[in-house]
Amino acid sequence: MISTVKATKPIRAVGGFFAMALDTLVLIPRRPFAWREFLSQSWFVARVSLLPALMLALPFTVLLVFTFNIVLIEFGAADYSGTGAAFGTVTQLGPIVTVLVVAGAGATSMCADLGARTIREELDAMRVMGIDPIQALVVPRVLAATLIAVLLSSVVILVGLVGGFIFSVFVQHVTPGAFAGGMTIITHLADVVIALIKAGLFGLAAGLIACYKGISVGGGPAGVGNAVNETVVYTFVALFAINIIASAVGIEATL
Amino acid sequence: MRRWTAGWHRIGLQTQFYGKTLGSTGAAFTYYPTELVRLIAQMGLGTGALAVIGGTVVIVGFLTLTTGALVAVNGYNEFANVGTEALVGFASAYFNVRLIAPLIAGVGLAATIGAGSTAQLGAMRINEEIDALEVMGIRTIAYLASTRLVAGIVVVIPLYCVAMLTSFLAARLGTTAIYGQSTGVYDHYFNTFLNPVDIIWSFVLALTMATVIMLVHTYYGFTASGGPAGVGEAVGRAVRTSLVSSALAVLLVSLAVYGQSGNFNLSG
Repeated sequence: MISTVKATKPIRAVGGFFAMALDTLVLIPRRPFAWREFLSQSWFVARVSLLPALMLALPFTVLLVFTFNIVLIEFGAADYSGTGAAFGTVTQLGPIVTVLVVAGAGATSMCADLGARTIREELDAMRVMGIDPIQALVVPRVLAATLIAVLLSSVVILVGLVGGFIFSVFVQHVTPGAFAGGMTIITHLADVVIALIKAGLFGLAAGLIACYKGISVGGGPAGVGNAVNETVVYTFVALFAINIIASAVGIEATL
Repeated sequence: MRRWTAGWHRIGLQTQFYGKTLGSTGAAFTYYPTELVRLIAQMGLGTGALAVIGGTVVIVGFLTLTTGALVAVNGYNEFANVGTEALVGFASAYFNVRLIAPLIAGVGLAATIGAGSTAQLGAMRINEEIDALEVMGIRTIAYLASTRLVAGIVVVIPLYCVAMLTSFLAARLGTTAIYGQSTGVYDHYFNTFLNPVDIIWSFVLALTMATVIMLVHTYYGFTASGGPAGVGEAVGRAVRTSLVSSALAVLLVSLAVYGQSGNFNLSG
C-alpha cells in the first residue's frame, strides 16, 4: 500500500520522518533509558560545538553592532547601541548561531555515525537481538542535541554581548555606561526565555533530522556522504523556517 | 608541544592546498572546461533529493526569504513602538543589503554547495578514486578542487541576486500585505535609502564568501579518511571551519568598506 511511484519519493521521506519523530517522542519516557549513550553524546556535541559557536558568535555580533551603530551615530542616538545589540543577539543571533554550529558539527556526526551503522547492517542486527535502535540510539542523540543547544545558546548570547560591548566602546566610542544601561530597555526576561525555547526547538529539529537521515541511508558509503550533505541542508532550512514562526509568535507574546 | 606544532603543521598544509588550488585555476579552464560546466549546472540546481526541491537556488532563496521576513516582523513591531513604522522600508534597504543577505547567503552556500563538495570529494577519496585519477595522469587538484572553486564563484553571482531579491520581497510582502502598510510609503522609504554602491559591495562580500567556503570545503573533502563515518566527520569539520572563516571574512571586508565613513547619510 506504500506507493512505489518515483515522484512520490520525497513525500514518502517526509512521512517516514514524521513517523520516526513520533516513535522517538513516544519512546522517551520508556525504560530503560540509555543514560550512558545520552551523556556521551551530550559531551561529544558540546565538545565539537563550543569553540566554533563562540568563534562564530563574535563576527556575527560585531557585524550586527557595527551596522546598527552607523545608523544610530548618524541620528545622534549612539547611547541606544546597547539596546539594538541586546535585542538582536538575544532574540535572533544567539539561537541561530548555536544551531548553525550544533547542526553543522553535531548533527553531521550523528548522521554519519548512524549512517555507517546502517550500511554495515548493525541496526538490523540490533533489531534481531530485540533492541529497538530508536530507543537505544536515536532518543539519546535527539535529547543530547536539544540539551546542548539550550545550554550553548546562553553562552553564545553572553559572548556575543561582550564582543559587541568591546567593539562599540573601544572602536566606535560609544559610552560604556549607556551601552550597559540600554541593554534591558526592550529586551526582557520573556525574550530570554523565548530565545532558550527557540534554541531547544532548533536542537530538537536538528537531532531528529540527522537521526532520520542516518537510519534511512542507502547506497553504500557514497550514500552516507549524500545523507550528511542533505542533513546539513534540511537542518538549516528547518532552522530558519522555525525561526521565523517562533519570532513572530514571540513578538506577539511579548508585545 | 608536539600537538601545538602538529596544529601549525596542519594549517601549513591547508594553506599549501589553497595555494595549489588557486594556482591551478588556469589549468582548470584550459584542460577541463566540460567538467567546469557540468559542475556549474550541478551546483546551481542540485542533484538527487536536492534537485527535487529546486537545488541551491531555491534553498538559499528560502533562507533569505525567512530572514527578510524577520526584518518585517521585528522592524515593524519595534518601529511601531516609537511611531516610525514608515521606516521599515529603510530598515529593509539597509539591513538586508549590508548584514542579512551576505551572512545568510553564506550560510546557505556552505550548507549546499560546500557540504556537497566535501561529501562528493570525501566519498571519492575513501573509495580511492582520487588515487586512481592520479595514476591515470589527471591533475587531481585542478580537476576536482579548482573546477569546484571556479564553479562556486560563477554560481554565486546569480544565486546572490536571487537571495537579495527574495529578502527584499519578503520584507515588502510582510510589511504591506501582512501588517497593512501602504506600498507607496514602503517603496518611498525603500528607494530613498537603497544605495547602489552598497549593493555592489554586497556582491563583493558574496564573492569573498564563496571563495573562502569552496576552498575550505574542497580541502576537507580532498583529505577525508576513515571510511563513511570519516566523510561525515570531514563534512562536520568543513562546515564549522567555513562558517567561522566566511563570517570573519565578511566582517573584515565590511569593516574595510564601511569602517571609515559608514556610507550612510540620513539627510542629503
